[in-house]
Amino acid sequence: MKEQNPPLVALRFLAWFCPPELHEGIEGDLMERFERDIEIHGIKKAKRKFVWNVLNFFRLDIILRNRISIQLISTIMVGNYWKVAARNMAKRKFYSFINAFGLSIGISFCVLIYLFIVDEGSFDQFHTNKQNIYRIEEKSFDIWQHDSDNPYRKSAWIQVGFRQALLDELPEVVRATRYNSGGTGIFRYDDKVFTENITFVDGDFFAMFSFQLLKGNRDKLFKNKQEIVLTPAIAEKYFGTEDPIGKIVKIDAEGEKDYIVAGIIEPAPANSSLSYSILIPQENRWNYERNMSQWGNFNTPTFAQLAPGTDLTTFKANLDKLTEKYVGDRLKKWREESMVPIPADAKMLEYEFTQLPDWHLKNEISWDKVSDPQYSLILGGIAVLILLIACINYISLSLTTSASRRTEVGIRKVVGAQRNQLIYQFGFESLMLAFLSMFIGLGLVALFLPAFNEFTNKSIQLTWSGMLQVAGVSFVLALIVGLLAGSYPSLFLSHFKPALVLKGRFTSKLQAGFTKPLVVLQFALSAFLIVSSIIMFRQMQYVTTKDLGFNKDQVLVIPTQTGWNEEANKTVQRFRERAQQESLIVSVTGTSSSFNQGYSRYGYKIKEEQKSAYVYAADPFYIPTLGIELLQGRNFDASMPADSNAVIVNEALVRDMKWTDPLNECLNWREDSVGLGDKVIGVVKDYHFLSLEQGFEPMFLSMDKQHVGYLTTMLVKISSPDLNAGLEKVKSIWKELNPNLPFDYTFMDEDVAKQYDSYKRWMSIMGLATGFAVMISCLGLFGLAGINTINRTKEIGIRKVMGAELQTIFMLLNKQYLWLSLVAYVIAIPFSWYVMNKWLADFKFKITMGWELFVVAVVVGLLVALVTVSYHAIKAALVNPAETLKYE
Amino acid sequence: MSKEFLGEFEELVLTMVGILQEDAYGNAIVSEIKDRVGRDVNLSAVHVTLYRLEDKGLVKSSMGGATNARGGRRKRIFQITNAGMAMLRAMKEARMDLWKLVPQLKIVLS
Repeated sequence: MKEQNPPLVALRFLAWFCPPELHEGIEGDLMERFERDIEIHGIKKAKRKFVWNVLNFFRLDIILRNRISIQLISTIMVGNYWKVAARNMAKRKFYSFINAFGLSIGISFCVLIYLFIVDEGSFDQFHTNKQNIYRIEEKSFDIWQHDSDNPYRKSAWIQVGFRQALLDELPEVVRATRYNSGGTGIFRYDDKVFTENITFVDGDFFAMFSFQLLKGNRDKLFKNKQEIVLTPAIAEKYFGTEDPIGKIVKIDAEGEKDYIVAGIIEPAPANSSLSYSILIPQENRWNYERNMSQWGNFNTPTFAQLAPGTDLTTFKANLDKLTEKYVGDRLKKWREESMVPIPADAKMLEYEFTQLPDWHLKNEISWDKVSDPQYSLILGGIAVLILLIACINYISLSLTTSASRRTEVGIRKVVGAQRNQLIYQFGFESLMLAFLSMFIGLGLVALFLPAFNEFTNKSIQLTWSGMLQVAGVSFVLALIVGLLAGSYPSLFLSHFKPALVLKGRFTSKLQAGFTKPLVVLQFALSAFLIVSSIIMFRQMQYVTTKDLGFNKDQVLVIPTQTGWNEEANKTVQRFRERAQQESLIVSVTGTSSSFNQGYSRYGYKIKEEQKSAYVYAADPFYIPTLGIELLQGRNFDASMPADSNAVIVNEALVRDMKWTDPLNECLNWREDSVGLGDKVIGVVKDYHFLSLEQGFEPMFLSMDKQHVGYLTTMLVKISSPDLNAGLEKVKSIWKELNPNLPFDYTFMDEDVAKQYDSYKRWMSIMGLATGFAVMISCLGLFGLAGINTINRTKEIGIRKVMGAELQTIFMLLNKQYLWLSLVAYVIAIPFSWYVMNKWLADFKFKITMGWELFVVAVVVGLLVALVTVSYHAIKAALVNPAETLKYE
Repeated sequence: MSKEFLGEFEELVLTMVGILQEDAYGNAIVSEIKDRVGRDVNLSAVHVTLYRLEDKGLVKSSMGGATNARGGRRKRIFQITNAGMAMLRAMKEARMDLWKLVPQLKIVLS
């Protein structure tokens, strides 16, 4: 009966809330009373009384007692912690460097990514009316490229007349403007002639958006349809210091007209979805009047400002009514004529809308600067990976160097330090290191920012208020890192038993088994980055060096600047005749659009089947200039008039039409009901006129000016030895023939390369991240190997005395690291294979991820690891054993 | 003695600490109060009062030796300090002074 114990729950509860220094006395009193209660009242009642008594102790006077005085003790110790931490850092400079370096790079990466994400979120936030401005979007059933998973096409381009309909019919629409950017025009003032970017808008643009008008009257602008508004940079370019207001200029944008400068507007900031340099009223667009009543053309983005508090569901219903009224008949016809079955419940066309702040990240609708929110995620992931690797360095290094701290822990404990005091101490040390790294990291942020901007195509700047934010973020980061990295080492270091430590019974060898999985994890992360960036690099190499099927080198692309007319062809013709005398110019041809400068695509019905093909206007010199291979038939011939109604097709089109003898076929792409269509006179080998993200699509070349187009782009092939001289020659001939037109040019190979700009940026980011990650983990490995070697100095000495060879010792020391990195690769390779497969899926033409890529990655990784750890191994193996053993 | 003030229960506990000398710990005080004054007091109330008295510097405490009873837990032994003694004495005297002012002899025999 003596073994009657009080309820365990109550005891635990008491231990939980009771301050430790009071606990024993209180518990003792309770136990004594319990023992007595058993004798008086019996066990049952005694237990009940015990619980009741414990509960009675649960009161603020007890719970909160002495909490403050504990704090007091550790603040006294802080000075000492500080001193010891500083001494330790100074004593092991190299390890402190590895830790601080890794952590500061991790922190600076995180801060940069934070800036990136903040910048993404700040897009278009500066407009006062941002809550009420909506972009109207078209969502229509796609009968062109039918895809049953996603049958709708979404775009921000709608009919020109839609704005007027909105303003006339919907009372909730206060203001509305159309917005066409991306076009160019020739701007003339005095003798200054340049090609400029032109943006067509309506007068409401100035009242809706918060771009500051520096000169001009906001409410009266564009009442006169011949007014224009410029940015200060443009005004200065043409008028210098003169007052630009009231100046008359000539602009050839879809037709030459005189304009009067009526306003100066500040340029849009970098985090704006809208941008402009010259604003012109929409009414000056080509064929404006006709297009206003044309409800089948989707070519104008339109924004509406709604009255505050408008109910969006009624707005949507009103839009549906509008659709029915203006395009209802048309839609019915489309539905009946459609080649693909359209489900009865699917709408042919409806209008949706997106609030201004959401434009930037809504990547399903293509828009200038629109970005994928996933990018932020990927970048953030990389930053966290690097920070994690750095934290692992810290943990594993503190664990392995713990031998030297052991005595300190023992002494402190003997002198009376509680375990949690020691935990505080080591936590304090890691926090100190984290904050040191934070300062270095902030410096690195300032250093990396320009390069980072270039990689991410942003223009983030550090302002003072931004600095404050950054400081706040990095403070939080440092706190998290300090606690995360410091928690395990401080628990580990503080657990030593003083008696054991001080008796010296510990061997000098370490048993920190936890570091191995950490190193494997760290190496797996680096291995993942290495494999990924090697694959990305190979793919980019493949893309940029792949034979595209035409010769893109030394070809100048020059817009003929004449507009959409016969004059374009004449310009090309004149230039060619003049250039024949020049040895530097090999050949001259014209086309409707050069590669990566737009395209035209026609849809047509043949035998009740919906087909489509890309179309390029060409002349007889097109195929030879670009070195395109003609497989069958012949090239265009200028002397045969019938050739203007002939086409040269590519293999993909032949496949698409299932022709067996293409030269005896006609392509009726204009759906001519009388004739057979255009005669096929040649077949060219497939070449990549589109980016490598896309496959070979049906395409044909034609000289039909009326239906296909004029030669608005001139291609000039110059001879190889001297590009600059060739360029100068072309320029002087241009000036001689067209003194009034600006000379603009690009190189075709650069145009083609531009298609892959965003991939290249990603590759450089990955490369940079990989470099840092590998460097940090190598530093960590280097440190670990160093400590490991020191631990085994004596063993190595004895082995040498017994006759071990140099390479045996080398092997001995390196074997385990090689194993660790092999294990890491086994973990990392399937993962990176999966991720890279996703990335490569964007390309129609891609490298195959063969085993050799992975082998290369493994060999590279192992070599790096081996080189890293070898330094210590070789050093240890070379030491004279007498040196290491004589102190025994 | 103007600012310091002891509640009635505090004074009672402090007195008991004075009486019990080396044996003054929570349970003993509870039983002593029961024995001498006949009052049932709560153990936790006694503990809290003891800690409060310690904060005021009227008692001091230390852990006693380990025993086999009480599940091996040591006792927290309280000891009255000089300040505590002075306080008790001052209170007693103040009460005596007041007591003298109460007219004691007006007993009316019926």
